[in-house]
Amino acid sequence: MLGTTLIILAVFLAVFAVIAIVDIVTAKKRKEVYRVKSSATAYLMLLPAIILAFLFILLPILYSLGYAFTDYYLLKPNDIKFIDIQNFKQFFAELGERGTLYHAIKNTVIFVVGVVPLQIGLALGLAIFVNRPGKGAKIFKVCFFAPVVISLSVTSYLWLQILSPSETGLLNSILGVFGAEPRDWLRDPNSAMICIIILSAWQGCGYQMLIFLSGLSNIRKELYEAASLDGASAWKKFTTVTWPGLRSTFVYIIITVFIGACRILTQPMLMTGYQDHTVTLSYYMYTQGYTYRWVGYSSAVAFLMTIFIGGVTFLQRHLLREKK
Amino acid sequence: MDKNLIKDLPNFKLNKKPASHTVKEVIYHIVGIILSLIFLFPIIYMIATSTKSESAYAASAGSISMFLPDFTNLGTALDNYKSVFTNYGIWRYALNSFLYAGIVIVLNVLINGLAGYVMAKLVFPGKRLLSFMIIFLIVVPVETSIIPLYSIVKVMLGLKQTASVIGIILPASISIFNIFLFMQFFQGVPKEYEEAARIDGANTMGVFFKVILPLSKPIIATVAVFCFIGVWNDYLWPSMILPAPGEGEWPLYPIQSALTTIQSIEGITTGEIMASLIVTSIPIFVIYVAAQKYIVQGFGTAGLKM
Repeated sequence: MLGTTLIILAVFLAVFAVIAIVDIVTAKKRKEVYRVKSSATAYLMLLPAIILAFLFILLPILYSLGYAFTDYYLLKPNDIKFIDIQNFKQFFAELGERGTLYHAIKNTVIFVVGVVPLQIGLALGLAIFVNRPGKGAKIFKVCFFAPVVISLSVTSYLWLQILSPSETGLLNSILGVFGAEPRDWLRDPNSAMICIIILSAWQGCGYQMLIFLSGLSNIRKELYEAASLDGASAWKKFTTVTWPGLRSTFVYIIITVFIGACRILTQPMLMTGYQDHTVTLSYYMYTQGYTYRWVGYSSAVAFLMTIFIGGVTFLQRHLLREKK
Repeated sequence: MDKNLIKDLPNFKLNKKPASHTVKEVIYHIVGIILSLIFLFPIIYMIATSTKSESAYAASAGSISMFLPDFTNLGTALDNYKSVFTNYGIWRYALNSFLYAGIVIVLNVLINGLAGYVMAKLVFPGKRLLSFMIIFLIVVPVETSIIPLYSIVKVMLGLKQTASVIGIILPASISIFNIFLFMQFFQGVPKEYEEAARIDGANTMGVFFKVILPLSKPIIATVAVFCFIGVWNDYLWPSMILPAPGEGEWPLYPIQSALTTIQSIEGITTGEIMASLIVTSIPIFVIYVAAQKYIVQGFGTAGLKM
C-alpha cells in the first residue's frame, strides 16, 4: 500500500514539475521571469495544505477508484490482488438474489423519494410563510430553524425516545389516549422508513427555508406590485413571480438535498441497527468496508454510488435549467 | 406634524379595510403558533423530560404534562444533569470535543488561509494546475471515500489508540472549500496594504501574519464557526477511528460519539438520556445565537459550492 502511494506521489510530482516547467518556459517567451525566492516562499506556504490535501482528499478518491477492482481485505493490507470486475459482478449478483443490498437500494430509494419533496416542500412553504415583516414572523422563523441546530445523532436518539415501543413513549402514549395499542414503530417494516423520513425532514428543512428566504429577498418587490395592479390572485402571483424568481435557488436546493438524502446513514444506524427494513446504501457500504472489512467490495459500491449520484445531479441540473 | 401625516399615509391606505386586516393578522399568528408548536414539540418534550425522574416520567405519560417540566419537585429538576456529569462523566467528552475543535480551527485557518493567500496574491510556476485542482476537488463528490480514508489513516499511517486523535484532527484541518473562500476574500484586499508593509521591510510571511490576517477577521470567524459546528457534530468518523472508552482511563471519544456509549449504560433513565442530549446541543445552540452574522455570511457563500 505504501508502495502504491509512493508511485502516486511520484506521478503527482512529475505532472506538477512538467506543468511548472511549461509555465516557466511560456513565461520566458513573454519575457517574464518568475522570481526564485518568491516562488520558493509560495511553495513553502502551500506545503502544509498540499501535503494534507494529497493524503486526505486526493489519495482517498484515487484509492476508492483503485480498490474497487481489488480484493482488498483490511486486515491483509500487504496482500491486495487485482480482480478485474469481480466486485461489480458480486454487486449485481447480490442485487439479483434480493439480499441485503436489494433492501438497501429499495430503502434508499424510498427515503429519497419521500424526503426530497417533503423537505423541500416544507422549506418552501415555511419560507413563504415567514417572508413578511413583523415580530411574529421573525419568532416563527427561529422556531422552524431550531431543529437544524440539533445534530443528526442527537435527533436520532431523541426520536428513538419519541417512537419508543413502550407504553410511555411519547407517540404511543398520545395515541394511547385514543385507545390505540402501543406499536414498535421502528421495527415495523411498514412504518420505520416513514418515521425516518419525517424526522429527517423535520431536522433539515429549516436550513433550506433560510436559503429559500434569501432567494425570496432577491425578487424585486415591484413585480408583486405590478401583479397586484393586474388583479392577480395569490396563486397567480406565486406561479408568475415567486416561482420563476426562485428557479436557481430551487436547482441548488434540490441538488444538495438529493445528494444528502442519497447518503443517509446516521439515522438508521443509531435508531434500528443493521436491519433489512431500514438498511440504506451508505449503511451497506459502511458495514461492508468497516464492520466486515471488505474494503475492495465496499469501494466498488462507493464507486457505483458516486457515478449514480453524479449522473443524477448532472441530469437534474440539465433538466431544470432547460425549462427556463 | 406634516412629517407624521406622510408617514401615516401608507398605514392609512392599508387600514382601508381594518376589520378584515386584523382578522387576517390574527389567523396568521394562530397558524404560526400551531406550526411552531408542531416544530418544537420534540424539543419541548426533550427539555421537559430531562427534569423528570423515571417514575415522574412514567406518571406523566399520555397527559399534557409530558411537555411540562416536573413542577412538583423543583428541587430535583437538575438531578439528571448532575448525574450525567458526575456518574457518566459527559464533561470529559465535551472537553475532548472542545479540544479537537479548537485545534482544528487553528490549523484549518492557518493552513487554508496560507494556501488561499498564496493562490490569491503570489506568482509562481504551477499555479494554474493548483487552481484547476481546487475547482476540480470542490466539485468531485468525496463523501463516498470514507472507507479508503479509514484505510489510509489506520493502515498506512498505522495510527493506534492515542495517536488516532491525529486522525480526527488532520483530515478536518484541510478544506478545499475554505481555501477557495480565503482566496476569494484575499483577492479583494487592496495591494496597497501589502506594499506598505513591504516598504517597511516585511517578508511575505510577515505580510501575511502582520497585515493580512488581522484584516481578515470576518472570513476567519466564518471559517472558525463552521469548523466548530463540523467537528462538534461529527459522529461517524470519530466513532470509526477512535477506541471506545475503556474502564478507568481518560476517554478519547468526542461528545457525539460518546452519546452511543452513554445510551448503552445499563439502568440509564429516559430523563438522563434527555439531559445528555441537551448538554450535547447547548454549545451549538450558543454558537448559532452568538455567531449569527457569520453563519448567515456562510449561507451567502454556500451557493458558490456549486
